[in-house]
Amino acid sequence: MDEELGGRMGAAQILGRGVRESPLLRQGFGFTMLLAIIGAAGRVVIPIVVQQAIDHGFVRDSVNMRVIAVLATVSSATIVATSLAQRAAVKRLGIRSEGALYELRVRVIEHIHRLSLADHNDERRGALVARVTSDVETLAEFFSWGGLAWILDGALMVIVAAVMLSYDWLLAIIALAVAAPLALVLRSVQRHLVDAYGKARGLNADFLGSVTELVTGAETLRAYGAGPVLASRTKLVAKQRADSFIRAGFIGAYLFPSGEVFSAFTVSAVIGVGVARGSAGGLTAGALVGFVFLTYRFLEPIAEFTEVLDQTQTAVAGMRRLLAVLDLPVGPPQALQPVALPDGPLSIDISDVTFGYRTRGEVGDDQPVLFNVSAHIPAGQQIALVGATGSGKTTLGRLLARLADPVAGQIRLGGVPLTHVSNEQLRQRLVVVPQEPFLFDDSIAANLEFALPGTSFADLERAVTALDLDDWLLTMPDGLLTRVGERGTQLSAGERQLVALLRASVADPDVLILDEATSSVDALTEVRMARALERLAQGRTIIAIAHRLSTAMRSDRVLVLEDGRLIEDGSHEQLLAAGGHYSQVFAAWVSSTS
Amino acid sequence: MIVADTALPRSRIERWRTAGQLVRSLVRVHPKPFIIAVSAAGVFALCTVASSVVLRWIIDHVIDPRFRAGHVATSTVLVGLGFIVGTGMVRAVAVVVRRGMAGVTRWRIAETLSGDIIDRLVAQPVSWHQLRASGELAARAGVDVDAAVDVISPLPYASSVVLLIAVSAVWLVYIDVPLGLFSIAVFPMLIALNLSYQHRVDRHFTAAQDHLGRLSAAVHESFEGVHVVKAFGAETRETQRLASIAADLRSARTSAVLVRASFDSALNAVPALANIGLIVLGAYRIRSGDLTVGELASMIYMFTLLVFPLRLIGFALSALPHSLAGWGRLREVLDAPLMPDPADSLVVAPPELGVSFRQVSFSFDADRPVLTDVSLDVARGSTVAVVGTTGGGKTTMLRLAAGLLSTSSGSVAVAGGDRSIVLQEAFLLGDTLRENIAFGSVFSDEQIWAALECAEGREFVAELPKGLDTQVGERGVSLSGGQRQRVALARALVRTPALLLLDDTTSALDPSTEARVVANLRSALSDTTVLMVASRPSTIALADRVVFLHDCSIAATGTHAELLESNETYRSLMEAFEVDREAITASLEAPERKDS
Ligand SMILES: Nc1ncnc2c1ncn2[C@@H]1O[C@H](COP(=O)(O)OP(=O)(O)OP(=O)(O)O)[C@@H](O)[C@H]1O
Ligand SMILES: Nc1ncnc2c1ncn2[C@@H]1O[C@H](COP(=O)(O)OP(=O)(O)OP(=O)(O)O)[C@@H](O)[C@H]1O
Ligand SMILES: [Mg+2]
Ligand SMILES: [Mg+2]
Repeated sequence: MDEELGGRMGAAQILGRGVRESPLLRQGFGFTMLLAIIGAAGRVVIPIVVQQAIDHGFVRDSVNMRVIAVLATVSSATIVATSLAQRAAVKRLGIRSEGALYELRVRVIEHIHRLSLADHNDERRGALVARVTSDVETLAEFFSWGGLAWILDGALMVIVAAVMLSYDWLLAIIALAVAAPLALVLRSVQRHLVDAYGKARGLNADFLGSVTELVTGAETLRAYGAGPVLASRTKLVAKQRADSFIRAGFIGAYLFPSGEVFSAFTVSAVIGVGVARGSAGGLTAGALVGFVFLTYRFLEPIAEFTEVLDQTQTAVAGMRRLLAVLDLPVGPPQALQPVALPDGPLSIDISDVTFGYRTRGEVGDDQPVLFNVSAHIPAGQQIALVGATGSGKTTLGRLLARLADPVAGQIRLGGVPLTHVSNEQLRQRLVVVPQEPFLFDDSIAANLEFALPGTSFADLERAVTALDLDDWLLTMPDGLLTRVGERGTQLSAGERQLVALLRASVADPDVLILDEATSSVDALTEVRMARALERLAQGRTIIAIAHRLSTAMRSDRVLVLEDGRLIEDGSHEQLLAAGGHYSQVFAAWVSSTS
Repeated sequence: MIVADTALPRSRIERWRTAGQLVRSLVRVHPKPFIIAVSAAGVFALCTVASSVVLRWIIDHVIDPRFRAGHVATSTVLVGLGFIVGTGMVRAVAVVVRRGMAGVTRWRIAETLSGDIIDRLVAQPVSWHQLRASGELAARAGVDVDAAVDVISPLPYASSVVLLIAVSAVWLVYIDVPLGLFSIAVFPMLIALNLSYQHRVDRHFTAAQDHLGRLSAAVHESFEGVHVVKAFGAETRETQRLASIAADLRSARTSAVLVRASFDSALNAVPALANIGLIVLGAYRIRSGDLTVGELASMIYMFTLLVFPLRLIGFALSALPHSLAGWGRLREVLDAPLMPDPADSLVVAPPELGVSFRQVSFSFDADRPVLTDVSLDVARGSTVAVVGTTGGGKTTMLRLAAGLLSTSSGSVAVAGGDRSIVLQEAFLLGDTLRENIAFGSVFSDEQIWAALECAEGREFVAELPKGLDTQVGERGVSLSGGQRQRVALARALVRTPALLLLDDTTSALDPSTEARVVANLRSALSDTTVLMVASRPSTIALADRVVFLHDCSIAATGTHAELLESNETYRSLMEAFEVDREAITASLEAPERKDS
């Protein structure tokens, strides 16, 4: 999908844009190229020496040692000098391309961090990680080999052609004419090669995705005995992947020796014509032999080209995907001239907010999930947001945290439109706690400190006490230093939620949005914590999304969402009295619990 | 000093030995294409030598006579040209076969190896998986296999290079002994140059590989936790942290490039200088009449042909440490002893029982028990709620009954027939909804819709444009928390299991949906034994019996009402709701009074 975004751009355009995006690459590029060309010139020294030696050194059964000595000295010096030039060119290119890749990587990381959350979901994650790792790696490989080969070998072909022309223009033209069809062959086979590798890469991604599912879903797969079925499906993909790479490999294998095939014909043509003409046209034996060497040299890079062709395609595809990510609009844009939020408790104004997730993939789910939602929440009010599953509660929470901007309407925090609040300030003052919180693979303390780097251990302990969770912490084997495991899986689901709540309280925000944040916590702990929160809440605005209606009862006011519309708004008592949706739900709940 | 001197070669020798083992083990998997590739490489090497012979013949018998004597027989010319084209063609065919078959070898071995690893991953129980990071395990079947087999592709070529060097050495000496010896002396020099390059650059490559591994792990975690990163405005902080790893990678790579730049140019210069040496020496030999110009040119040609292959040996060698590391890592998975499947230690429960725990104890680490001495009999067809505090071991109990974990002591018995567990956090495949529910088995659409109906998921699935064929994941829709839970529930229900284990399955559902799901379960599952973790009284009230887990063991069992009577701790746990209940009843009475 990402590939389609930049899909209409040709390879050259993609590379061109890539280079434009990395100023470091262009720095001193002209001089580097000059050095590279000088370096490549070193590779025609031997054919020239052979020609000179045959024509002037070995004249008529006697050998002119003086000529040979001069030739040897001059050519040795040239070779040393051109090698040094090549070394300098490779160094310069290497340093710059590594620098450019570093910059690109950091830019992509930064950009992905700033993408809207609509572009971040479980399913997309692997792809985004791949952008920063494997896609940049394809470029790294290209720069360290393929790109260099294009430049050095390209320069070599040009220089060889020039030397050939200077020796004997007729032979040179014959050589070029015989070799020319090679370009056509390369072009047509190359297209198949590109397609074949494109297909293989697609299957490779499928394969890796399939293996990841096999590992992350290990427990569910085992519980349902579905492991073997999925394993055989994955193996089928592995087979298809192998097949497609083998096919692409064979196409590459046909292409690879095409340079040799053509050099066999070209050399024959050159020798044939040269011998037929004899010394009539001023041709010498040395020049003819030198010519043969030059012809081999001329077509030598073809093999390497076919080798780097796939690498180049991979790099172009990688670049294309990288550019596509960089082209994804970042999450809500930063406020240009941020307005400072007022101190103290903050009110929230939601006016006429409509929102839909961007269309993704084949399914058109760009219908709004929120329609014209309006509510004024005074500073310090405790709100309960209730509604059926899929009604848009989580989505509204995301909008309040400005993880995405409404399609229409506006949200104001403390009277300031969210679009005018700086990101730093917003994050300091407003925090969302989700239902399935994410913990980093580290200690509990490190996870808490993430909210406010530099918080002392004692302060973390105080935060635990403030939420009345000392008893719970005692059950952890190493207290705050307990490791939580990958994604927190060494804790129970409820324990993960507790850590996430603690983390939010360490940040000490003025607005707290709890999205089913205690759904797996036992009732006693929840109520104790809720009381503690209430104590802490003095002056804080809290929006609790909860299915336990006891939470709704305790709050100052209840908002009811249904299918993306705010259908009821009032205190618990008012809503019950109104006899609407909420009162029905509530009555059903009460009867089911008694 | 002495220690270092002796330690170095030994480790190098060891590495060669392990490299040999690696190659042998890999090739043994698919020897046939490998042998074909190596044979083609041999033909290629011989043709290469032959083409140099042809060049010499042409210079001495065609070009030289023509330019010195003025004429040459056309047939001689044609024979020479025929030889050039002939050797060129055979060489080309050999290259196609060599490269193609090397690819077949490489990819078939990768296919077989990753298949073995996948089988192994699937065969290992959950407890084995829990000890390992999932990202790393996935890398075993993917990147590590690819790294290990990378060593294969250049091998046929490398073997032909060895042959080429041997044959051409003989050929060079045969043409002219002093010149031949001179050129042969250059080969070890080039090889030594390659080895020393390899040795120097290794450190940087290894470092770069480490940094890259660190970077991908860190990037993965950072993107996975992007909600947290954003929630606390840590984007810049995280970017900086990742950037510093990327900077390490950059400097390791840059050092490698600098080393490479020097050696690359040396590898270009040395053969060229040797060529000049050949010409100078050759001049003496020609003067003394021991050598013809054609012979000299053919030697030079031979020499240039050898340079590229020799450099390729360097490439092949530089892939070696990488391959060895990948091989080592995937052996860890392949050689890890298969842990016993906990499901095998489940015993069959007597006919009247659905599930039964006998003095079951469990702990993740020895000094912290999760469950001790738990005994419980659940009558077949009954519904039992497991209640307990956060982290009290409820999920653990269900995993034991599902045969996902094995007890530290004691035994678990279950009724024959299907067991289905719905885990606390739903896992969905990036596949269609139908496949997510059928999950490897085959069910009719009616069965799937019926299960969805029971899980209260029919409505939202029917509203999707593609219904059951809707893709979940990267190429499809994102579901809300409650929607995911209901798909997972339908997956369990469609199997009409004998034992259904529900781990807080309705936690993400709103009360009215939950009430409907619970009612559906009641009516649909009359024969099914249900063991469910519940935290809301509404769900607990549904159960025939409640099991109260406290302090790692069963503190009490009985009906909800009985437990409220008999167990103080249970009462205090439920008190939260009871306190609320007073307020609830009070608030419910208020509007009712208004109505009347
Ligand atoms: N990232 C997303 N991209 C596209 N659609 C989404 C995304 N997240 C949610 N949706 C869709 O938007 C709708 C509202 O989802 P939301 O998560 O806001 O519901 P919710 O009220 O929080 O439900 P629940 O109680 O089940 O958590 C659902 O139909 C869901 O499928
Ligand atoms: N993989 C693990 N490694 C080590 N300890 C673990 C692991 N998984 C769970 N634990 C610990 O075992 C105890 C029991 O966990 P379990 O998941 O069974 O609790 P639970 O009763 O289901 O809690 P919750 O209501 O929060 O889901 C917890 O204290 C938890 O920290
Ligand atoms: Mg939600
Ligand atoms: Mg649990």
